[in-house]
Amino acid sequence: MSFTMHKMEKDSFLAIRDDVLKGWPSGAGLKFEDAFRVHAALPQKKIFSHVLHKADREKRVLLQPRAGVALVNEHIKLLKFLEEEADLLPTTIDAYTRQNQYKEAEEGIKKSLKAGYSLLNGFPAVNHGVAECRRVVESVDRPVQIRHGTPDARLLAEITLAAGFSAFEGGGISYNLPYAKSIPLEKSIRDWQYVDRLTGFYEENGVSVNREPFGPLSGTLIPPFVSHTVGIIEGLLALEQGVKSITLAYGQAGNIVQDIAAVLSLRELAHEYFKAAGFSDYYLTIAFHQWMGGFPENESKAHSVIALGGAVAALSHASKVIVKTPHEAMGIPTKEANLEGLRSTRQIVSMLADQHFPESKELADEIAIIKAEVRDVMTAVMDLGKGVVAAAARAFEAGVLDIPFAPSIYNRGKLLPVRDNTGAIRLLDKAFVPLSKNVYAFHRERIAEREKAEGRQAGFQMVIDDIYAVSKGRLVGRPK
Amino acid sequence: MEQVSIVLGVIGSDCHAVGNKILEKVFSDAGFKVVNLGVMVSQDEFIHAAIETGAKALVVSSLYGQAELDCPGLRQRCQERGLPDIILYIGGRLVIGKHHFKEIEDKFLKMGFDRVFSPDCNLDEAIGLLKQDITQRWGSAAG
Repeated sequence: MSFTMHKMEKDSFLAIRDDVLKGWPSGAGLKFEDAFRVHAALPQKKIFSHVLHKADREKRVLLQPRAGVALVNEHIKLLKFLEEEADLLPTTIDAYTRQNQYKEAEEGIKKSLKAGYSLLNGFPAVNHGVAECRRVVESVDRPVQIRHGTPDARLLAEITLAAGFSAFEGGGISYNLPYAKSIPLEKSIRDWQYVDRLTGFYEENGVSVNREPFGPLSGTLIPPFVSHTVGIIEGLLALEQGVKSITLAYGQAGNIVQDIAAVLSLRELAHEYFKAAGFSDYYLTIAFHQWMGGFPENESKAHSVIALGGAVAALSHASKVIVKTPHEAMGIPTKEANLEGLRSTRQIVSMLADQHFPESKELADEIAIIKAEVRDVMTAVMDLGKGVVAAAARAFEAGVLDIPFAPSIYNRGKLLPVRDNTGAIRLLDKAFVPLSKNVYAFHRERIAEREKAEGRQAGFQMVIDDIYAVSKGRLVGRPK
Repeated sequence: MEQVSIVLGVIGSDCHAVGNKILEKVFSDAGFKVVNLGVMVSQDEFIHAAIETGAKALVVSSLYGQAELDCPGLRQRCQERGLPDIILYIGGRLVIGKHHFKEIEDKFLKMGFDRVFSPDCNLDEAIGLLKQDITQRWGSAAG
């Protein structure tokens, strides 16, 4: 059983495109021919999918930081500084651009020029326009991906892909529900279908552009099956529009066995659902995000969190790892701190390059439970509609899909996760998520073990303790 | 005793939701009537909510580093809209890059905030301070 796939018609795509390009003056006069020429001139070492697929085949984990500042020259300096240890480069977009607030971004650029430092938390690519963005791609020696959190990224995609960026993060669910308050899901999914169709159009013209749905979602106690299900749905939406290089991502949860099981099962489940939908002409890679929750303020302790993530990425053979920095607790890092995070990660990933995590009953059980959960939920989502868009929107409305701690009003927010006694993330309340009886019973048994060990009942206080635990020096939020 | 209202929210284009949900719970448990505006709240929305609910304090959060762009003028706007005495608290990761907290604190105190909190501040202490500040400025005990 699978969804009915439907590619957006070229005429309707081009009609929408006219409007999209009017969103800001920098969109005027964009021509596909120019864009394809820029991409055709890129050396292989700067083509994202080429570098990523090669590493994946060789079972090497690539390192990618996050980085973006307000001004073009400073942004280039920052990326060139990170190139020493980064295999893949990012361009992280500022929060105003993410909300399509280009006027506010323009103010941010002016104030940053005046202040002599970046007041924006990222790179305002739409304001800078194609020619300036091209300078970024030309100035560095590695492939560059756009990373952001934009519910409507159509203009951003047009401008940055035209500039030669060869990878674009995001998706209609993963860049809406955790990143916005009141944007209807059907709207953001349709807007992201446009981005996927644009990517597919590049592919049809011989230009490879990698797409990567955002895995960690709210970054807070996300059970693997939740992000897996969203990733698989967004993967299907991307392939439906002609995307060929697809990366699904997972954010480190903290328990080593659960995290490794999550990466291994994500690869298998994605292939299973993509093939069932009739896709075979694609290349799948897996991104592993180092810990996305609160970090310890002490930098040595932060390095330890970073290293644990690096270890799991290496042992689970993720294709790339998204790297944190020792300044995480304080917010946006200096370039030096950013490089330090890459170095800690490089050391541990290299040391573990030739090792495998041994097979064990614990690992097999964890994989089996994640697969059972994903199948329970995917089956229910497919029952809600033949097309992916409608089914996904209905699934969130009904709470069949539910992202813990996401700010959007289009997310139920009733699913309540908590750690078990070993730190694995389980469900305290499954709310409306249709998990089978035995699967849910397993969650409750594991939580009961912790309740017994701590002599208290699991409740919202325990969840809060878990949210703060890593920043306070442990994984499980034990009572004081 | 009557419950004291406070307005809670994440300012600007910031969508960090987790801390906001936790703050709602701990301030409510401490006896406040919490008007939680959630994420991505403009200065005007904060002020409007304070006027509507008779709130004694605005508790502003920012985690994405752009508070320096989002917060200037909030104190003046409160005065213009008839809230000269409202208590303004702010906490989170307020600026880009790593700076001494004292520097950040000075910057936001100068902007008109009454207290500035670091991302790892103790919430029980913050609640204690808020009760104390409300009693001093408004003469009524909170919670």
